[in-house]
Amino acid sequence: MQKNIRNFSIIAHIDHGKSTLADRLIQSCGGLADREMDDQVLDSMDLERERGITIKAQTVTLKYKAKDNQDYILNLIDTPGHVDFTYEVSRSLAACEGGLLVVDASQGVEAQTVANCYTALDQNVEVFTVLNKIDLASADPDRVKTEIEDVIGIDATDAIPCSAKTGLGIPDILEKIVSFVPAPKGDPNNPLQALIIDAWFDNYVGVVMLVRIVEGSLATKDKVTLMSSGRNYAADQIGIFTPKPLIQDKLVAGEVGFVIAGIKELATAKVGDTITGTQNPAKKPLPGFREIKPQVFAGLYPVESNQFEALRTSLEKLSLNDSSLNFEPENSSALGFGFRCGFLGLLHMDIIQERLEREYEMELITTAPTVVYELLLKNGEVEQIENPSKLPDLSTIEQIREPIITLNVLLPQDYVGPVMTLANEKRGIQKNMQYLGRQVMLTYEIPLNEVVLDFFDKLKSVSRGYASMDYDFLEFRGSDLVKLDILVNGERVDALSTIVHRLNSKFRGRDLAAKMRELIPRQMFDVAIQAAIGANIISRETVKAMRKNVLAKCYGGDVSRKRKLLEKQKEGKKRMKQVGNVEIPQEAFLAILKVDDK
Amino acid sequence: MITTPQSVGVYVHLPWCIHKCPYCDFNSHEASQEKVRSLEEEYVDTLIEEFNFYQDLIKERIITSIFFGGGTPSLISPKLFEKFITAIHKNFDLSKTEITLEANPGTIDIKYFQSYADLGINRVSLGIQSFNDNHLQSLERIHSSEEAKQAIVVVKKYFKNFNLDLMFGLPNQSLAELTEDIDTAISFNPNHLSFYHLTIEPQTRFFKSKPEIPSDDDAYEMLSLVLKQLKNSHFDHYETSAFAQPDHQCRHNLNYWTFGDYLGIGAGAHSKLTHENEIFRMDNTKNPKQYITEVAKQNFFPNKTLIPQQDLPFEFLMNALRLTHGFTKETYSQRTGLSLDDVKSKLHPSFQQDLLYEDHEILKPTEKGVLFLNEILHNLI
Repeated sequence: MQKNIRNFSIIAHIDHGKSTLADRLIQSCGGLADREMDDQVLDSMDLERERGITIKAQTVTLKYKAKDNQDYILNLIDTPGHVDFTYEVSRSLAACEGGLLVVDASQGVEAQTVANCYTALDQNVEVFTVLNKIDLASADPDRVKTEIEDVIGIDATDAIPCSAKTGLGIPDILEKIVSFVPAPKGDPNNPLQALIIDAWFDNYVGVVMLVRIVEGSLATKDKVTLMSSGRNYAADQIGIFTPKPLIQDKLVAGEVGFVIAGIKELATAKVGDTITGTQNPAKKPLPGFREIKPQVFAGLYPVESNQFEALRTSLEKLSLNDSSLNFEPENSSALGFGFRCGFLGLLHMDIIQERLEREYEMELITTAPTVVYELLLKNGEVEQIENPSKLPDLSTIEQIREPIITLNVLLPQDYVGPVMTLANEKRGIQKNMQYLGRQVMLTYEIPLNEVVLDFFDKLKSVSRGYASMDYDFLEFRGSDLVKLDILVNGERVDALSTIVHRLNSKFRGRDLAAKMRELIPRQMFDVAIQAAIGANIISRETVKAMRKNVLAKCYGGDVSRKRKLLEKQKEGKKRMKQVGNVEIPQEAFLAILKVDDK
Repeated sequence: MITTPQSVGVYVHLPWCIHKCPYCDFNSHEASQEKVRSLEEEYVDTLIEEFNFYQDLIKERIITSIFFGGGTPSLISPKLFEKFITAIHKNFDLSKTEITLEANPGTIDIKYFQSYADLGINRVSLGIQSFNDNHLQSLERIHSSEEAKQAIVVVKKYFKNFNLDLMFGLPNQSLAELTEDIDTAISFNPNHLSFYHLTIEPQTRFFKSKPEIPSDDDAYEMLSLVLKQLKNSHFDHYETSAFAQPDHQCRHNLNYWTFGDYLGIGAGAHSKLTHENEIFRMDNTKNPKQYITEVAKQNFFPNKTLIPQQDLPFEFLMNALRLTHGFTKETYSQRTGLSLDDVKSKLHPSFQQDLLYEDHEILKPTEKGVLFLNEILHNLI
C-alpha cells in the first residue's frame, strides 16, 4: 500500500488561493459532497476565512483513482501561511514528500513563498509549480514563470496552469501529484517514530494530535511516549480526516492521521515532537524539534477594570487551542490589572486581540508591542525582561542585548531605494542584495524591536504594497539602549515606557510627547507631558487647560436630549484611564505606534 | 414626598419660520407669510382644544407665565393670540402672569405690536443674534443690522419688558466686533439679555458643513468680555447664558431652571407635570400637520413617561445648577421629594475641584463651577 500513498503540502502566499485549491482537490476526490462544501473547508475559523489565512493546520486524506487505474491515498497536509509561523510550516513540510508551489499568475512570487519553498527544498521535498488564477485577465504566466525561475531557482517550464475557482487544471494537478511526488519510505516494523505536525484541543476528547508516521506503526491502545518530555500515554483513538474524522485500527509508516491519547493540556503535545512506542522506543527522536518561544509581547488590559477575571477566562480558553500564546498577570499603575501576553509575532498578536474582542466580546486596551531583552548584569547573571518598565536600575546592568532578526525583503527593483532608506532608519545592517530578474532580494540584520512597531505597514507603503518580507530570529546582540519614560503631570506612565536606541531616543521622546499632546484631551488644569531618560527630561509638552465646559442652552424641551449628551460624554470619560488626576484616552497608549521617526 | 408646585408655566409652540437658520435645531418649519396665514387659524384652534383638555390637570394652580415660542411667533396674526389668551383667561387669572412673545426682526409689523400689547402680552424676546451685517448673513438671518435696531425701537415703544437674544463665537467673529454688539445691545437699555455661545448642534446644516468658528480659547475670551461688559452695566448674570436687570429675570425660564412644572402645547412641545407624588413628562409630535391630526383624534398624553426616582437628582441639578445663585435645599426637597444628602458622595469631587459652594440653606456653583457645569454633572452620572 505504501507505494500508493502521496503526502504533500501546498506552498503559497496568503491570497494566492491555497485554501480554494485545497477545497477543489477535496471536492474532486469526493471528500465532501457539493452541498457539504462550505467554501474553504480547511480554514475552519471565521477569522481565518476573513483574513484569508490558515492559522491552525488541518489535514485531509483523499482517495484518488488515477489514470493508471490504481487507487491512491493522497494526504494533503495544510500549512499555516504567515511569517509568524515559520516553525510550524517547517514541521508540516517535514511530513511531506511533495510540495505544490502555488503562485498567483498575476501577482508573482512573494518573499514568504520563497522562504517556505526553500524550507521545503532543504527537507528534500519534491516541489512542482502551479500557476493559479490563470483565468484572470491580468494573468501573465510567462512573466511569472520567469520570475519563479529567477527568484526561487526551480524549473517552471512544466508549471500547471490552474484556476482553483473554476476547477481548471485540477485533474492535471492530481495526476502530477501521483506521478511526481515520491511514495513515502519507512519500515512498518521499525520502532515507532511519529512526527507531531499539529495539535489542538477538543472540548470532548482533549488534545488531538495530527501525526505523520515516519517509521513503525501505531495501533489503538498502544502505549506511547512523547520523546521531548518522556511522558507516557495510551493511544485511545486513532484515525484519519476525510475531512470528517474516521476512526482506524492503526496507522503505519507513510500514513498521516490523528491520535487522541488522553492528553489534557495542549502545551504537552508540542509541534515537531516525536511520538514513540513505550515498549519498544526509537533510539532517537526525529530531527528538527524546537521549543517555540514568544518573540513579541504586549500588555492586554480590560477597559473596565471589573472585566479582569473575564479576560483571564478568555485567555485561558484561547490558549487551550494555541500553545504559543503565553500570558501572565501584570499590574500597571496606569491601566490597572491586565496580562502580559507573549506572541509568536505581530500577526499572531493581531489575531489574538481580534478573537478576544470578537468571540469573547472583551473590550481591550493593548499597549504597544515590545520584544524580549536580555540583560547581562554586573554580577554576571543573565536575565530576560519582557516589559520595558521592568528594566532594573541601570547601575546594575553591564549590557542590554536586543533580539536581532534576519530579514528578507523581496521587492521589484523600483522600490529598492525607499526600502533601503527605511531599513537604515530602523537600524538595519544590509547583509546581501541579490538581483533575481526584475525582483531584488534584500537581506538585513535588524533589531526585532524596530520591526514590531510599524515596519510592515511602512514597508508596504514605501513599496506601494509590492514588497513582501520574511524573518527569522538570529541572536541577542548588545546595543546602546536606554529606557524612555513618559511622565504625565510628573507621574511616570509605566505602560508607555519603551526601550530605544540612544541615538534615536531624543527624537522618539520628542515625537512621543508631541503625539501624546494631540491625544490627551484638555482638562480643567494644565497637563504637562514629559519624555525622560532616567532623571533627564528630554522633551516637554503641555496640554493647556480648557477654559469652560457648559451647555449654552437648556430649556423645558431640551432635558432628555441634553441628558443623553452628558451621558455620552461621561461614557467617553469612563473609557479613559486615570493617571494621577489626568484622564488619558486609550489611543494614547498606542501613541508609540503613531510616531513617525524622522 | 414631592410637593406639587402651586404655579405652572405654559409654553406654546408656533412652529413656522420664513427661513430656517443653519444653526437652529429647534422644531421649526419653513413657510412664507402667506402660507402661515393659511395654516394659522386651524393650528391655533388646535392649541385651544389641547389646552382645554389639559387644563383640569392644573386647575387649582396659578399660571405664572405663558411663553409663545417658535419658530417665529410674530408671524401669527394678533387676533389669534387674542383668541387663545381669551380661551385661557376663561378659567385662569392672568392679571399677574408674565406673557412673553418671541419675535424676529424682519417680521415686525408696527401695527401688530400695538395689538400684541393691547391684548395682554407684556414681554417680548427679540432674536437679534448680532448687529453686524456680515455675521447676520453668515447666520442666514433674514434681517439686517438696521432692521434689528428698528425692531428694538418699535418693541420699546410698546413694551417695558423685553429681551434681546445675542450670540458670540460666530464664524470669523473678532473681539472688536463682539464689543460692538455688546455695546449696541446695552445702548437700547433692555432689561434682559441672553448671550449664547454658538453651538454646532447635530441635525443642523452647520453640523453637516462646519463653518470656521473661533477656537475654544478665543470663545472663552469672548465669554469673559461678555461677562465683564454686562457686569459693568449692572446686569446680573443669573443663568449660564441669561442676564437681567434687577427684578427682571425671565419668570418662565426660571421655572424650568428651578425644576418647576410646565405644560407645553403645540407641535413638539414638552411638558413636565407633578401629579400625586410622581413627575411625568410628555412631548407632542413635531410635525405641525401630524400634531393637528393627533389632537383631532384625541390622542392625548403623547409619550407620557414617569421620571424614575433615581433620575430626579440629576435632572433637578442639570437645571438648577445653571442658576449662578444656586437654589435652596428646601426647593430641592420639595421638587424631588429627596434629600441632597443622598447625592453627597457624587457631589463631593465637585466640591474638591472647587466647582460647588454650599451653606446651610443653599447650594450653588462657584464662579469656576458656572463655567464647568458639565464637569459637575459628569460626576453625578
